[in-house]
Amino acid sequence: MTDITKNDIAPPRSFLSQDAIQVFYRLLAALLICAVLAVLSDSFLSLGNILNVLRQASLTFFIASGLTLVVLTAGLDLSVGANVALSACIAGTVIHTTGSPALGILTGLACGGIVGLLNGIMVTALRIPSFIATYGMLWVLNGLTYWYMAGETLHGFPAGFRQIGSGYLFGLPIPVYLLLVFLGVGTLFAQRTIWGQEIYAIGANPVAARLSGIPVARRLLLVYAVSGTMAGLASIIFLSRLNSAEADIGESLTLPAIAAVLIGGTSLFGGVGTVFGTFIGALILTLVLNGMNLLSVSANWQPLVTGIIVILAVWLDMKTRRRAQ
Amino acid sequence: MRQKFGYLALPLLMAAALTTQARADGETIAVFTKNQTNPFFQTVRVGADNMAKSLNAKTLQYIPTKPDSIPEQLSQIEDVVVKKPSAIVFTPVDYKAMVPGVEKINEAKIPVVNITDRSAGGKFLSFVGADDYSLGLETARFLLKTLGGKGNIVIIEGVKGSLTNVDRVRGFNDALKESAGAKLLASQPGNYQRLQALQVMENLMQSNSQIDGVLAANDAMAVGAIEALDGANRKAQVIGINGTKEAIDAIKSGKLLASGDYNGFAQGCLGTMMAIRSLRSQPVINEIVLKPTVITKDNYQPFDVPLEQRTCPTFEDAGKLSAK
Repeated sequence: MTDITKNDIAPPRSFLSQDAIQVFYRLLAALLICAVLAVLSDSFLSLGNILNVLRQASLTFFIASGLTLVVLTAGLDLSVGANVALSACIAGTVIHTTGSPALGILTGLACGGIVGLLNGIMVTALRIPSFIATYGMLWVLNGLTYWYMAGETLHGFPAGFRQIGSGYLFGLPIPVYLLLVFLGVGTLFAQRTIWGQEIYAIGANPVAARLSGIPVARRLLLVYAVSGTMAGLASIIFLSRLNSAEADIGESLTLPAIAAVLIGGTSLFGGVGTVFGTFIGALILTLVLNGMNLLSVSANWQPLVTGIIVILAVWLDMKTRRRAQ
Repeated sequence: MRQKFGYLALPLLMAAALTTQARADGETIAVFTKNQTNPFFQTVRVGADNMAKSLNAKTLQYIPTKPDSIPEQLSQIEDVVVKKPSAIVFTPVDYKAMVPGVEKINEAKIPVVNITDRSAGGKFLSFVGADDYSLGLETARFLLKTLGGKGNIVIIEGVKGSLTNVDRVRGFNDALKESAGAKLLASQPGNYQRLQALQVMENLMQSNSQIDGVLAANDAMAVGAIEALDGANRKAQVIGINGTKEAIDAIKSGKLLASGDYNGFAQGCLGTMMAIRSLRSQPVINEIVLKPTVITKDNYQPFDVPLEQRTCPTFEDAGKLSAK
């Protein structure tokens, strides 16, 4: 009993060191996968393929980075994928009708952010558990998107806009720059700002957090709004990379994002985890699929292998975490 | 003598036809499709509405809110059995799992036509669908002909185990076997999703410096593969299946070589037509498996028409459209 209390009110710094060990193990796992793939496939270690993997991981990471903050508060956002779909369809329509990519980008981000804010309001003001609130939101968003798109597909966007998702700058894909920026900003925000530390504290023990004067509701609102806005960003990257949007893109995005957060070592019980870990989680998921494509693993085996890797990663995590404690 | 009898019979027959026509008007046809997300089913629904309207009948659309949801379609069937529409036009979300649902419809004695995915059981008065195997075979043959019977090919598969995917990929592979010069580099899953197809294509381009042809099991994946090729400044001939508007646009602009026409519009039209005809005691064709059409830059024009402006085939056309 005393032990738990001690943990709950321990200063934020101790989370950092524990998280550093977790991130180290994750990096090790990712490197191990890389080493195996490098041995099995000649093309794996080429610069082209490494950039390829980073660009593919970026989309999952954008969604998962905001989600990490939500999970740090012991919440969950199941609506992120559906949010990406609605935001993409609305942003796409704005670009088609106004011809202005800038306006489309703003609309996409705003749409994502508003959805996130609504999630936050449901969780804080209405006190609906986040799992249920965002699950309900998932249905609301799907319904809106299906109705809005009526089975149609949006496609064909201006070349300038396409650069965001498919362009290069000094030999690096533009999404990779964005990935580095948001990895940096997310890490700094979580580890080096008061708000970030308060988010960890809320996740570790909401009662203690409230008693120590943290405005819990406002921080939660922020966290869900950030998660929604990152889904909005992902929708823009999706649009510009795929050159099209349809109503059902969300379904295949939610679970990989959640998996990336968990493989990255963020605990569903809150208070433990890092944005950098989530990046590694997204990377591991992408590496596995990339490797199976390079090795021409049969389509039959791919879901099975992915599933086993996800389970192994989380199991290893639990094991190392216990040892670290 | 016979002639005279004929003259007598004609007005009688006409009167009979008119009265049955008038009495039978206004039937309600419940149309079941798999989801609201795949543009294909939108074409099915427009086709069904179009036909019902021209025959003075009404449609009621039943679509699971969660795409392809088995429990949801089952409960929709339960609702419909209570509501008792005149007839049902039915696409099972899963060809095996929905058999008990079909049996419920049969027990309720509501006439039902099966369209698109052939149900594994139950009694139907007619089946209208496309032949996925020959769509795969014919589109792949067209690709190989364009490539001169040789080249490095990759297949991007749909959802593993789905009826459409199994048959389409089997068609692709059989066409590849006919061309000794063609080499299959990889057959990888894209799950009918454009993002996954794009990423699979990006990955495959890393390990294969020369890809000449891409066989994608649907149009969304074909377009995803094209985006990946464009992004890497590489060229390959790509084919898709379904004949969506997006695919027609891509064929027009020369980015997509061809798409197999799955012809949802005709499936919706003909399924509804057969249901209404049977209600009006008119002859019905028990099985219409639509001939595969490969849509290319030479014949895309009839497909480049907004859905609402397309016209349904007539009963006479129906026989000609069928491969059998």
